[in-house]
Amino acid sequence: MAELHIIGQIIGAGGFPQNSLFCKWGVHTGGAWRLLSGLKEGQTQVDIPQTGDMAYWSHPIDLHYATKGLQGWPKLHFQVWHQDSFGRCQLYGYGYCHVPSSPGHHRISCVTWRPLGSWQEQLAQMFVGGGPQLRSPDLIYSGADRYRLHTEAMGTVELELGIIMRHFDKYGVES
Amino acid sequence: TAEEAYNFFTLNFELEPQDGTEKKSKKREKQKKTTEKDSDEEGGGVVEDEAAPLVRDEEEALFVIEQSSRDFLEVKKAEYVGYRKRIQQESELLFTPSFRTVPTTIKLPENMKPRYLEDEGLYVGERPPISLTNENILENRILKMEEVILTHMPHKIMVLPDPIKESSTRPPLFHMEEDLDPALHTVYRKSKYANLYIAGAADPEGDYQLDVDVSGLIFSHHPLFSREHVLGARLAQLYDQYLTRQHNNLTGHLTDKVNFIHGGESLTQAMQRRISEYSLEVRNTRQLRDSEQEKDRTLLKHIVKVWKELKALRDFQKFTNTPYKLSLRRENVDRTSDERDYEDEILAEVVELEAEIEEDYQKKFAEYKKQLQEWKLCRRKQKTKKKKRKKKKKGQAQDETEEEDEDQDPPEKPDFDSIEQRVREKASRIRRKPGESILIPELSASGNITASELCPRPETARREDVTRRSLFVKILYNDKEVSRTDSRSLNTDFRVHFGQIFNLKIINCPQSINLQVFEEIGSSCYLLAQVFVPVPEPSVVADRVSLEEFEFSSNQRVMFDHEGVGSDVPLSFEADGSNKQTLLTSGKLSCRVYWGSGEDDVALAPPVSQQHGGIHSGLSRLDAVTFIGASGLYDMKKIGEWATQSRLDPNDPKNASIMQLLKVATSGEVTAPEYFRLEQLQEEFNFVTDEELERSKRFRLLALRYQEVAEFRNYKCVPSLEREVTDKVFQEYEKRLKEGEIVDTKEHLDSHRALVAKYLQKIRESVINRFLLAKHHYILSDLVVEEEIPSIGILGLNLFKLAEPKRPLKPQRKARKKVTAQNLSDGDIKLLINIIRAFDIPIRRPQSNKPGQSSQSAIQGSDWLLSQVQVRPFVEVSFQRTVLQTTTADGPNPCWNEELQLPFSAPNGDYSAAVLQSVKDEVFINIFDEVVYETGDQDRAKSIHTRVEKHWLGSVKIPFSTIYSQSRIDGTFKVHTPAVLLGYSKERSYGTNGAYDTLRSLSEGAFITLFITIEPQLVPGESVREKFDSQEEERLLQASERFEREAAQVYPNRPCITTVIDLNGKTVFITRYIRPLNPPQELLDASPDNPQETTALVARFVALIPSLPDRVSFSGVCDLWSTCDQFLTLLAGDEEEHAVLLCNYFLSMGKKAWLIIGTAIPEGPTAYVLTLEQSRYLIWNPSSAQYYGQYDTFCPLQTIGCLVNADNVWFNIQEYTSPMTVSFDTTKANLWKPFFSRSFSHPGLSSVQVTSGQASEHCVIIEKILKEKIMEWRPRHPTRWNRYCTTTLKQFLPKLELSGGQDMAEGHRHELQSLLGDNNISGFPLHMPFSEIRPIIEAVYSTGVHNVQASNVEFALAVYVHPYPNNVLSVWVYLASLVRT
Repeated sequence: MAELHIIGQIIGAGGFPQNSLFCKWGVHTGGAWRLLSGLKEGQTQVDIPQTGDMAYWSHPIDLHYATKGLQGWPKLHFQVWHQDSFGRCQLYGYGYCHVPSSPGHHRISCVTWRPLGSWQEQLAQMFVGGGPQLRSPDLIYSGADRYRLHTEAMGTVELELGIIMRHFDKYGVES
Repeated sequence: TAEEAYNFFTLNFELEPQDGTEKKSKKREKQKKTTEKDSDEEGGGVVEDEAAPLVRDEEEALFVIEQSSRDFLEVKKAEYVGYRKRIQQESELLFTPSFRTVPTTIKLPENMKPRYLEDEGLYVGERPPISLTNENILENRILKMEEVILTHMPHKIMVLPDPIKESSTRPPLFHMEEDLDPALHTVYRKSKYANLYIAGAADPEGDYQLDVDVSGLIFSHHPLFSREHVLGARLAQLYDQYLTRQHNNLTGHLTDKVNFIHGGESLTQAMQRRISEYSLEVRNTRQLRDSEQEKDRTLLKHIVKVWKELKALRDFQKFTNTPYKLSLRRENVDRTSDERDYEDEILAEVVELEAEIEEDYQKKFAEYKKQLQEWKLCRRKQKTKKKKRKKKKKGQAQDETEEEDEDQDPPEKPDFDSIEQRVREKASRIRRKPGESILIPELSASGNITASELCPRPETARREDVTRRSLFVKILYNDKEVSRTDSRSLNTDFRVHFGQIFNLKIINCPQSINLQVFEEIGSSCYLLAQVFVPVPEPSVVADRVSLEEFEFSSNQRVMFDHEGVGSDVPLSFEADGSNKQTLLTSGKLSCRVYWGSGEDDVALAPPVSQQHGGIHSGLSRLDAVTFIGASGLYDMKKIGEWATQSRLDPNDPKNASIMQLLKVATSGEVTAPEYFRLEQLQEEFNFVTDEELERSKRFRLLALRYQEVAEFRNYKCVPSLEREVTDKVFQEYEKRLKEGEIVDTKEHLDSHRALVAKYLQKIRESVINRFLLAKHHYILSDLVVEEEIPSIGILGLNLFKLAEPKRPLKPQRKARKKVTAQNLSDGDIKLLINIIRAFDIPIRRPQSNKPGQSSQSAIQGSDWLLSQVQVRPFVEVSFQRTVLQTTTADGPNPCWNEELQLPFSAPNGDYSAAVLQSVKDEVFINIFDEVVYETGDQDRAKSIHTRVEKHWLGSVKIPFSTIYSQSRIDGTFKVHTPAVLLGYSKERSYGTNGAYDTLRSLSEGAFITLFITIEPQLVPGESVREKFDSQEEERLLQASERFEREAAQVYPNRPCITTVIDLNGKTVFITRYIRPLNPPQELLDASPDNPQETTALVARFVALIPSLPDRVSFSGVCDLWSTCDQFLTLLAGDEEEHAVLLCNYFLSMGKKAWLIIGTAIPEGPTAYVLTLEQSRYLIWNPSSAQYYGQYDTFCPLQTIGCLVNADNVWFNIQEYTSPMTVSFDTTKANLWKPFFSRSFSHPGLSSVQVTSGQASEHCVIIEKILKEKIMEWRPRHPTRWNRYCTTTLKQFLPKLELSGGQDMAEGHRHELQSLLGDNNISGFPLHMPFSEIRPIIEAVYSTGVHNVQASNVEFALAVYVHPYPNNVLSVWVYLASLVRT
C-alpha cells in the first residue's frame, strides 16, 4: 500500500520547427496502481512565444497514487501539437518518459518524434500542413515492434517533477 | 630585490611598445627557443636573460632571416630495406601458422578420444561458414600457444552460431505497407480547425458522416384543404388513434389484469399478508381500466360522428374530394352469454367494493372497540373507586349514566345497496350494453374522387391550385444550408414522398440539424415550416433507428377565394356558423438522422467529449498479446504444419515453447486459451492483496473526496495515518447507500410519498452531478479577467460625484465587504435580525366564563380598553434551536427597534457556497404575548408570586436560503396568525389614526417590519451557465437571448425570463408552460354556484403543495421548471411551479390570467399570478393562496419584470415597477414590450387519488409522533393529555378545513368555553401543507406551547389531515394548553 505523489509541472517545449505549441498529456500506469486524486490527463494552452524557440506552458501536474506493486510504474506520455497562424492544429510529436523512481526534485526532458509518411505525404505536409499520425496513440508508451516505423526526431518537452514516496520501504523497495 | 623588481617592470614596460608587431615578437621567441636551447640553464636572472637575446635577435632578424633555414636542414635519401632482408628479419620475430590441417592426435591430449556432440544428442547449432584454410591457420596458431589444451574441443573449433540476422533489421520502405503491425499504422491527417478538445490521447479529427434520410411529409392541414379534406383528415386521425389503441389493447390488458389479480388473491395462503396490497392494486387497475374503456367508447362515438358529418358534407356539395370510406362492421354476440358476462363483471366489482368497504368498516369498528374497551377499563377503575366512596355517600348513580352517554357512537354500517346502483350507472356509461353488437370501424381509402370536370367552379380552381404547387425540403446543418431535396408536386391527397438520403461529411461538432419545408408556386417559393431534428447519439447507425415523424406547423395566414379553407381562418361546419375553428397549416415530416457507418460497422460519429477517466484499454490488450507472443495462436493446425515443414529442431531452446505447444495441441488436451492475463506475474510481486488495498480507509476517504461525493466533497484534512481515520466518517455515507434501496415509510407516511421522495433524490443527484461536471468546464472569461476600460461618460460621472455636496443627514448604506466562504469557521457568521415594529397585533379578550358575556364585553369595549392592558407583545426569534427575544412592548402596534444576533453554523462546518445554499433551516419569528398571572395566596398580601406565561400570537418564517441568496431582506411581512386564537380577538383599535387607518383597513391581519441580513456578507453562489441543449428553434433561442440582454441593459433590476430549464436539463421557452389545465373535478364540484369560492379553493389546493426551493434541492443556483404533472407527482416545487399550476387552473376556469415574473419579499425573484376580475387586477401569491388587489399596500410583490401567458411574454418598460404604479394593459406597446412567440401543447395530467382511509391513518401517525415529541421536550414535567378536549378539538378541525381557515373563532370559543368552563385555555390551530413530518414538528416546537411551566397544565392535541386530489394533503394541528383555575 505504498503511495506515490507526483507533483510538478510541464514547463514547456523547445526545438520544434515552429514554436506556437500546445501539448496533450496523460499518465499511464499498470493495473496495480490506483489513482486517489488528481487529473491524470489534460491539455495545455497554446503558447505563442514572442521571442525564443521555447514554448512555455507551466502546466501543473498533481497526482496521488496508491499501489500494490511496482509493475506498471507511471509514465507520462505527450503529444505536442502545433497551431499555425490560421488556427489549424497539426501533430508535431509523440513522446513519453517514466516518472522518476527516486524521491526528490527532478528535471526531465522528454524527447519526441513523429512518424514520417511517404514522400507524397511529406510533400503535402510541406505545403498544406497536416501529417501522418498514429492510428492508435497507445503505441507511444507500449513496446510494439516499433522498428518498422519511420520517424523523424522533433523537439523536447521539459518537465519538472517532485516525487514523494511513502511506505515503499515497508515492502523492501529502497528509495 | 626591489631594484630588480623595478627594472623588471620598467623594462617590460618600455620594451613592448618598441616591439613593433606582436607577430614578429612571437616568431622571435620561437627562434630564440630553438637557437638557444642550451642557454636555458642559465636560469637565475630572468629579466636580463630575456631582455638581452631579444634585443640581439631583433638586430639579427632584421637582416639574416633567409639564410637560417639552410643552416638547419639536411637532405637525405629515402631509407630502403631489401625484401629478402626484411623477410629474414621478420621470420626471426614472427610466427606464421601453417594452413595445413592439424592431425586430430595432436589436438587432443593423450589417451582421449574425440567426442561428437551431435551423436551424443546435444543440440549443435549450424556453423557459420568459415574457409578451411582460415580454420586450419587458427588451429595451428592455438596449438602453438602451448598453454591452451583443447579438451573441450572435440575435433573442430567450437563455433558460435551465426550472430548476423538473415534479414536486414531495417526492411526497405516499400515493404512497409503490407505486413505492418496494425498498431503501427499511421494516418495522414490534414491540419484542421480542431475546436473540440477530447481528453486523453484521442485524436481530435476524423471523418464523421451524418446521414439524413428525408422520407416524406403528410399534411394534417394545408391551406388548400377543402372542407371535406378537413373532415377527412380528422377522420383519419381518429382512426389512427383507434388503431393504435386497438393495437395496444389496453382495455383488454387491464381487464385481464383485474381478473388475474382477482384470481391471484385467493391463490395461496402465503399471499394473505399482501392482500391489502393486492386490493389496492385491483382498485387502481380497475380505475385505469374504467377510464380506458370510457376513452374507447368516446373515441368510437367521435369517429362515427365525424363520418356522418363527412357524408352530410358530400351530399351537400355533390362531389367527393377524398377517398375515405368508413364502414362499420357489426360483430354480433350471443346475447345471453354476453348478458351473463356483463352481470358477472358487475357482480364481481360490487363484491369487491363491498369487501373493501366492509374491510374499512371492520377496521374502524375494531378501533372503536378498542377505544370502548379502554374506556370501560377506565370506568371500571373509577367504579371501584366510587364504590368505596359509595359506602360513605350514596346517590351518585346519575353521574355514571351521564358519563356513558358521552362516549362516541360506533361507526355507521355502510350502505351496500347504493354500491350496486353506482356500479351499474358507471357501467352503462362506459361499457357496451349487453347484447349490443360490437362495432368495428374500418376506414378505407377506396372511394372514388369526383372528376374535376364534374365539380363546380371553385372546386376546380382549388384543384388547379393544388397541382401548381410543389414542395421541397432544405437541410440545414449548424444553420448552414447543406443540401435540398428535389421539388415534388403536391398531390391531391396532400402527401409528398421524397425518399432521399443525404450523406453529410462533417467537420464541426453538430449543433443543430434543421429541415425547412418550402412550398413553391411557379417560380416563387416560401418557407412553410421548420423542423428541428435532434442530433443522434454517437451509437446511432442506420439499422438502429427507424423513421420518425416530426410534427410541424406554420401560423401563416392564407385565404383563398376558392374552395380551399385556408390557414388561420375561422371555419365552421355548422349551418349557422357557430362552433368556429381555426386551423393552422400543420403536418408531419417523416425523416431520420443517423451516423454513417465505416468499414467495420463503426459509427462515424465524433466521440463524446469529456469522457472522464477514460481507460486506455488498447494498451493492456497490446501488452498481453505481445507477451504471450502468440499472435498465430488461433490456428493450431497451421502452426503444426509449419513446424513440420520447416523441420524445426526440437532441441533448439528457441523453439521450446512452440514444441511444447505442439505437443500439447497434438495430444488434444488443451486448446488455445480464451483469455488474456492482463497483468502477467503481478500476483507474485504484489506488496499487498487487493482486499487489503480496498480495506484501506484512508485511500477510500481520499478517493471519495476526489470524486466529490456529497459527504466528502469539502472534507478538508485527511489524516496521514491509517489508524487516525475512524469508521465514523463513512457511517453516514454507507447509511445513505443502504437507504437507496429501502423505502423508508416511517418518515413519509405512505409508500407513494416515499417513492416520490426517492425519485426526487435521484433527480437531485443527477442534476448535482451535471452541475459538478459543468463547473469543471471553463470558458475564457472564467480564466481571464479583462477589466473594462472606463468610458468618458463614467469618468465624468465619477468626477461629478466628487463635486457633489455632502449630506450628513441623509446617510447611505455603505457597501460591506463580501467574504468568500473558504476562510470561515463556526461562529464567524451571524444572522442580524432587526425587529422594527408591528401593526395590528391581536388583543386580549376579557376573561369571560360565561359565553353570554362576550357581546356585553364588546359594548363595553372602549371602556375596557382604557382600563386594561390590551396586549404585551414581544418577539422571539428562533433559528437552529437558538432562541432570542426582544423586550416586551405594549399595545397592538408595538415598536421594538431592536437588533438580535443569532449565530449560524453550517452543517459539518462546511461553509462553501453550495452547502450554504442548501441549508434548509428556517428563521422563525414568533410574536408572543406576555401574560403575568398572580398566584399564591391572595389573602396574605406579603408575598405575591407572579407567573409569566407567553402566548403565541403568530409567526413569520423565512428560510435561510432566501436570506443567503438575497443577502438582505427588508420589508413588512404579514404575520401568519392562526385561524383561531383562543382568548384573543383581532378587533381593531378604534382610535382614529388618520390616513394610516384607511390604508390598513385594506388588508387583514397583523404585520411586522423586519430587516434581516447576514454578517459578514457572504457571496452568494454563482449560477451555472451551461449551454443546455434544446429542441427550440435556434432563431427563437437567439431572439430570446437578445430580448433578455436588451432588457438587462436598460432595466438591470427587472427580472426577465423567456427561456427556462426543465427537469431534463433542456432549455424550454417559457410560454410552453402556460396552458389551461383542468383543476381536479372535486375542487370544482365543491361549490359549483360560487365561482369566487371555487377560485379560492383552487388557490388553496395549489398552495397546499409543499414548496421546496430549487437551490435547496439541487444545491446549485439553478432554476428548474417542472411541468405541472411532474410537479403534482413530485409534490414539491418552487414558487414558479406553484404559479404555473395556479395560472393554468385559472385559465381553464375561464379567467384571464398571466404569470408575473418579478421580485417579492422575502422570496426574492419569484413568480406570481395576475388575474383580471371584473376590471380589477388581482395578484395571487401561489404559495400562500393569498391574493392582493393592485393597490394593496402590503402586497409582497415589489417588482414586476414581465408578464407571461400562453401566447407571449411582455417585458415591463414602464417607469416604475411596483404593482401599484404599473398599468397592466399589455396592449400598449409603450408600456409593455412584447416578445412574440408560438404556443405548443402540454402533456396531460394523471392523478393519483387519495382515499379517506389513508388520511385517517396519517392523522393517527402524526398525532402519535407529535405527542411523543412534546413529552420529549418536557423532560422535567409530567405531560398530561386532556382527552376530552382533544376530541372536541378534533371535531372542530374538519370545520376549519371546510371554511378554508376563515375566522370562526367566536362560535368555536363559545363551544369550548361552555364545555370546559373552569379551564383557562390558550391554543390555536396550525395549518400547513404536508410534505414530511419534520417541518410539522419544527412548527409545533417553534410555537413554544410545551414551555408552559404551570404544574396543573394539561394539553390537548388534535390532528386532522384532509386529502385533496393528487395526493395533496392539508394538515391541521390543533394545540391547546389548559390550566385549571
